Amino acid sequence: MAIEKIIYTPEGQFIAGQQGSCLKVRAMVSEAIGARELIWRLFLRDFRGRYRQSVLGIAWAVLLPFATVAVFVAMNRSGVLTIGDVGVPYPAYALTGLTYWSLFSTGLTACSISLINAGSMLTKINFPKSALVFSAGAQGIVEFLIRAVLTAGVFAWYGITPDWRGIGLGLLCVVPLCLLMFGLGFIVAIVGGIFRDVLNAINAVLAGLLVLTPILYPIRPDSLVAIMNTFNPINHLINVPRDLILYGASPTYTGFWITAILSALLLVTTWRLFFVAQARVLERV
Amino acid sequence: MSEEPLIRVDGVSKKFCKSLKHNMLYGAQDLARNFLGLPRGRAELRESEFWSLDDISFELKRGECLGLIGPNGAGKSTLLKILNGIIAPDRGRVETPRRVGALIEVGSGFHPMLTGRENIFVNSAILGFSKQETTRKFDEIVDFADIGDFIDSPVKHYSSGMHVRLGFAIAAQMQPDVLLIDEILAVGDAGFRSKCYNCIGRLAERSAVVFVSHAMPAVSRLSTRTMVLDHGKTSFHGHPAEAIAHYHRLFDNQMRPTRQGLGSACIHSLQVLDAAGCPVRSIVQGQGLTVRFGVRTDVAITNTCLDLVFVSIADEVVAECNNLVAGKTINLQAGSDIHVYVHIDSFSLNAGIYRISALVLSADMIMHYDWQKDIASIEVRADRVGVAGQQYRARWTLTDSPQETSK
Repeated sequence: MAIEKIIYTPEGQFIAGQQGSCLKVRAMVSEAIGARELIWRLFLRDFRGRYRQSVLGIAWAVLLPFATVAVFVAMNRSGVLTIGDVGVPYPAYALTGLTYWSLFSTGLTACSISLINAGSMLTKINFPKSALVFSAGAQGIVEFLIRAVLTAGVFAWYGITPDWRGIGLGLLCVVPLCLLMFGLGFIVAIVGGIFRDVLNAINAVLAGLLVLTPILYPIRPDSLVAIMNTFNPINHLINVPRDLILYGASPTYTGFWITAILSALLLVTTWRLFFVAQARVLERV
Repeated sequence: MSEEPLIRVDGVSKKFCKSLKHNMLYGAQDLARNFLGLPRGRAELRESEFWSLDDISFELKRGECLGLIGPNGAGKSTLLKILNGIIAPDRGRVETPRRVGALIEVGSGFHPMLTGRENIFVNSAILGFSKQETTRKFDEIVDFADIGDFIDSPVKHYSSGMHVRLGFAIAAQMQPDVLLIDEILAVGDAGFRSKCYNCIGRLAERSAVVFVSHAMPAVSRLSTRTMVLDHGKTSFHGHPAEAIAHYHRLFDNQMRPTRQGLGSACIHSLQVLDAAGCPVRSIVQGQGLTVRFGVRTDVAITNTCLDLVFVSIADEVVAECNNLVAGKTINLQAGSDIHVYVHIDSFSLNAGIYRISALVLSADMIMHYDWQKDIASIEVRADRVGVAGQQYRARWTLTDSPQETSK
């Protein structure tokens, strides 16, 4: 029986005898598929580990988003928030946006520290390193799901009757946001492995982005922020799904589709970069 | 049967960078090149880089075991990492089967907050086992680790021994074509070590093994061939006993004699002589040996203690010749200069190099008149390196009757 052999050279790793086009892309996809169980295990490990040795345990995963919800509802009731008419009660509007935003911000932050957190494991065990990024990003997806359930509760509280088709489409439209999150996640993971600056920069950028992107407020179409946001991928990827959920339709889809395609391209590119660069980065993490 | 080599290492070199700043810069440059598919820059060293591994080549077949020895920083662990595919070589080529098992710092990847039970599943997944496989082997793992009720405690409450036990038990479930081992047997208690040896023996039967160790008995026992690395280069590659002797000589060259003590007496010369009375630097294990040294003293020392101490490369005091222990009274007169001959009938220390220190002490062994540290060295040669410091060659007889029949 012939044994499958791997060849390591300065140019990268190859499987002996394998030929054809897109060798690297094929190798990285098959690696990720083979690692799906590992991704799930790593996710469980981090998720459970985070809430161990706390009295409330896993309840924290729900409590923190719940706190945000409570704050928005309370502010709305006391009349602090005067955002103008968004067609639905403001908390429902803001929380829907925040739900999508949390997928992006939680996922990206987790990705940026995924390699560093893995510590000595990286340099001792040979395993698919992309699993670390995928499992980190999964934290964002879980955060999204938890918040989505809570937001649904808020909808019920305000007696908003949802348009089921809009909700279905809105949830489906989270996919490009995931692609963007993973696409950026791979690059911040690998660059953050070498340059620790990334960890600090990410927090600053996310904080700025949350304010600049019309997530917590509707935008006036003629303002400077609106023009800036034409080029803000997050704006398209969050506001189109939100429009679909709240109103059943969005005024424009062009930006959304362009961003979605670019996000997919970004993911393929950075994932490949990660795959090619991992050996070089690991000696420096 | 001439089988195809499992591992083929061909002119592998690896450079590292001493300065963090340059390291980051070069990292970014190399990344850009790799990604764009450009050829690597010139292979020469850039500023503050050095070759951690330089032109290493070897081949290993199934059933063979290569021992890697060398001083700290010689590049042994780097070579293991390249074989394991964790870091890429800067020159050369490595061909290895896909199924590589590494017993290197077992238990890394454990989450301290999770229980041993949960960590078994996580760690198994990292090593590439499916959940079904892990579930099937779970009892075996727990049994091997033998950590009792602690299996349901968070791993952070484990002693370092238990940590390693559990890690090893999981890693031992692999069925690799190539097994990489890095100094694993330095940990755990005696009982666990013997279990590990058995397990490695079982795995090694059907794989090619590369292992790094500073424990020469283990190297002598496990390896079929041994490679000595020094400053990233292959300094010797061949028979384990010769390799170990070569390794010991690397340290011998670094030996620096030092002198302590009152200075009122002086051991001014010391030679090691063979049975024929010729000065030698090495002898065959079990041969007779004489140490000759000259003592000059300015003061009178009654019932003095002359002490010869043999120290191994591992800095353990392994043997001693002491006239007080031997029951020989020596009185030194002021102003005298004498020669002392110490005859040892059968010098049977374990194969290796030993540094000799010589002391002139008072009868109660408190006053140090002279203490010559590492004044000389002697190499003991043998085909096999044993475990214990003292190796009795002994007479061996075999008989099937309960009485030993003398002929």
